[in-house]
Amino acid sequence: MENYELLLSGITFIPIVGMVVLLIWGNATKKQAALIGILSEGFALAIPLVLLSALRRNDSVIFSFPWIPNMGISFRLSLNWLSLTFLLTEVLVTLAAMIYSLGEKMGEKNSNYYYALLLLFSLGMSGTTLADDVFLFYIFWELMLVASVLLILIWGHGEIRFRVALKYFIITHLGSLMVLVCLITMYVNFGTASITEWVTQAGNLPINMQTFLIVFFIIGFSVKMAIYPLHIWLPDAHTVAPMPVTIILAAAMLSMGTYGILRFPFGLFSLETLQPFAIWMMIAGLVSEVYGALMALAERDIKRIIAFSSVSQMGYILFGLGTLTQRGMEGAIMHVVYHAIVKALLFMVVGIIISVTNERDIQKIGGLGFKFPILCVCAAIGVLGISGMPPLGIFNSEWMIFSGGFDSGISIVLTVMALIGSLLTVIYGLRFFGGIFFGKKIPDSLPTKAPLGLIVPTLAVTIFLIIEGLMPGPLLAWAMKGLTSIVGSFH
Amino acid sequence: MSGMFEIVLPAVILIGGAFIVYVISRLLGVNNRVESLITVLFLTGTLLALINNFLDIPVLFSNNNAVYGLFDPGGIILIPSALGIFIMIISIIITILITVFSGEYLARDPRYLVYYPLILLTQAGLFGMFLSNNLFNLFLLTELTTIAASSLIAFRFHQEIAIKAGFKYLIMSSLGTMMMLLGIYFFYRSNGDMHLIHVLESPDNFTRVAAACFLLGFSLKAGVFPLHTWVPDVYGNAPSAVSGLLAGVFSKSMLFILPVICLRLGMTREELGMYLMIFAGFNMLVGSIRMLGQNQLRRFLSFSSIAQTGYLMFGLGIGFYYNLDQAFSAGLFLFLVIAMMKCLAFLASGVYQFYLGSQDIEKIQGAGLYMPLVALCFSIALAGLAGIPLLAGFAGKWMIFSVALATGDLFSIIGLVVFLMSTLISLGGYLPVIVKQYQYSDQLENVFVDQASSLKISRWMLVPVALLALMVVIIGFYPGPWINLVDYVIRWMLI
Repeated sequence: MENYELLLSGITFIPIVGMVVLLIWGNATKKQAALIGILSEGFALAIPLVLLSALRRNDSVIFSFPWIPNMGISFRLSLNWLSLTFLLTEVLVTLAAMIYSLGEKMGEKNSNYYYALLLLFSLGMSGTTLADDVFLFYIFWELMLVASVLLILIWGHGEIRFRVALKYFIITHLGSLMVLVCLITMYVNFGTASITEWVTQAGNLPINMQTFLIVFFIIGFSVKMAIYPLHIWLPDAHTVAPMPVTIILAAAMLSMGTYGILRFPFGLFSLETLQPFAIWMMIAGLVSEVYGALMALAERDIKRIIAFSSVSQMGYILFGLGTLTQRGMEGAIMHVVYHAIVKALLFMVVGIIISVTNERDIQKIGGLGFKFPILCVCAAIGVLGISGMPPLGIFNSEWMIFSGGFDSGISIVLTVMALIGSLLTVIYGLRFFGGIFFGKKIPDSLPTKAPLGLIVPTLAVTIFLIIEGLMPGPLLAWAMKGLTSIVGSFH
Repeated sequence: MSGMFEIVLPAVILIGGAFIVYVISRLLGVNNRVESLITVLFLTGTLLALINNFLDIPVLFSNNNAVYGLFDPGGIILIPSALGIFIMIISIIITILITVFSGEYLARDPRYLVYYPLILLTQAGLFGMFLSNNLFNLFLLTELTTIAASSLIAFRFHQEIAIKAGFKYLIMSSLGTMMMLLGIYFFYRSNGDMHLIHVLESPDNFTRVAAACFLLGFSLKAGVFPLHTWVPDVYGNAPSAVSGLLAGVFSKSMLFILPVICLRLGMTREELGMYLMIFAGFNMLVGSIRMLGQNQLRRFLSFSSIAQTGYLMFGLGIGFYYNLDQAFSAGLFLFLVIAMMKCLAFLASGVYQFYLGSQDIEKIQGAGLYMPLVALCFSIALAGLAGIPLLAGFAGKWMIFSVALATGDLFSIIGLVVFLMSTLISLGGYLPVIVKQYQYSDQLENVFVDQASSLKISRWMLVPVALLALMVVIIGFYPGPWINLVDYVIRWMLI
């Protein structure tokens, strides 16, 4: 085994070490706990970057270790261009959320558990992206859920959190079970749990079984993506969770559903087999896009507005995947990344607004723009970003998704509707921005300055968003390579 | 009496132990803890004897001399089975932990003297049931376990509900053994013999009726729908340690004796498999749905136990109906992990009752803040039963899924759908209880202000609970060797 393969396993093991340290270190202060958390997560960020050169040579790095040999299950991680894109997104979002947590008023007590759980949450996601063995995939997939539920349960807002966490767990678990049925069906049919080996054999399955698997996979992963009408867990979970957890949920965890769809139905079956489902995915994406935007328009709670905007944005992604064209799918992958950055930024802004005004009703907040100019600029860039304004990232990805829609030739009408539907994003974005930062100044007794610990990470994310938008080249290249690695080359 | 003595050595230690423990404790007037330690000594002896038998399995089953008994007409013939040895090893390990637990748990009960001998007798009876090859002996041993178990259930006889529970168990179990007696009559009438050494070639109608009687009898003891009604009343009101033993090991092991007897009485594998799979569905649904509304901790666990009986039956049913060896492995593995998790759940609920004086689910609100380790172990048990990954239950769930899908048949797929529904519904039962432990409550604060000294949980209770929780985690993390072990047993299983 080469050194860089061992290094790959570090992405999962170093956060575990960090967690163990945090669990043992009972009386760590919040800063100490955060330091350990950020350091371990920093390794998880550095390792894939170090592995970039190896990845350029081989197109994938694989770490394999036998785990349950009698069931054909091994601890097998694989880094390729697709998983790299999702991994980096997820790790960066977690890092941002960890840094943001430092500025949150949460109390010192038990902060070691808090950071340990954040690490577990991130481990679940990075494991999901890297796993090349279905048993392992499912374990990480559920770890992600367990960690997020615990975070909501313990640090969520209000007594309602117990019910919300339960609802979140049960509904997303239903999706997971659908995925599990598919995974085990294939495991039983192929006699191996290695996903790489599945790719070569999946085409030989009987056609009705392929249909069944595709439908179950897409519905199961759509629950995690919060596609209408499977989104019902999302608004409550996002609202009740503490802000850093909301950031990870919205910016990183939702995209795991996309990754699942790309990895399983798209990665295993040919595009011809997927063709009959294309239009349904596009319709579901369109409905989700419009529904999420309308709900965001109707909401008064500022956290829920941004939460519903996630439902809408995931609609774009599913629409892009549904086009089954190169541009549409690349656009969907890029949209995942851009959406992560923009959504993290918007939730950070909301977090700051809530912390300075102690108010979440958009009608009771107003005129903050004069008092907090930096925050206002960040929010403006976030809102412009989500509305798809060039040169901010989402413009690029939406462009590709819609041109994919026209390329596909499935339905021009749907694409035009989706294009027009994106206007709604602008409307709710401007309502959000205008309502909060302009208009009458309603809360009187406001602090003069926004908390520095919160504003610095927000600024950093804003700058990152601008850079990413201006230089989409590397991301596009990764998305192209990642897509080629799963669906083969387009002609 | 002649034959290989080592086959029956465990039973001899258990029965002898029961007498010796009682006599010593009575004469020397030892206290509860000492008596529990003496019992552990005998149980350890039994365990060693069983492990010795287990290691000898290739020798025992490759020649035909592995019998013990009285070979005259009307004599007793005892033949070991790999399955029986394995199940007894699990049972004895869990009994050891329960006995240690009882060393503190029974501290407030004056009648501890008879408790430990009864535990030993229950185990002896169970072991005998696996050994016996004669319907009459089987009947006697079933009665022995029934009587010992109902005395244990009604152990706190000053409580009205305990008496009620014990009586209910006695009546229901006797109904079961009565069915067996009826079965024996039919069998004897047709064959003029009561030995079961060989699978009958061409069973006549009488024998088939006998098989049905035994099927009903054992189903009742295992708590199969619709004969499950005694389960919540009994496990809900018996002492936690006893409920853990009965629900975790005893009633579930009946599911492994049932096929041995029924198949030898001429029931076909398809019939048995179909019976098990159909009623498994009812058990899963009834157990998980009824679990939702419960407000008593042990009643709640009893209903979840009914659902788990269903999971086990489903695994075994697939094994018989489709002749699939992996399904037996899945069933046996599930038995192993359910035994641990169920017992852990009952013991942890026992700790709550011991310190909080109530088994009301409302009352454990906030207990996690005062007894973090117990709450963690209880959460591990419930999460494991719910099939959360990296805990033992998940590997079992994965295996059941695999075998059900491996058949590719609609019948088992329908069963799998019911299984899925049941796991999903039961999540709604387990999660709120787990969560409840960590919710803040002021009433609990009052309890602990009153008895500040009892904040420290006795090690006698903590050690068995923690050990079981550790096992659940270890099996969950690394199921490989355990699956190997189960596969090994299944290879030597002769049904």
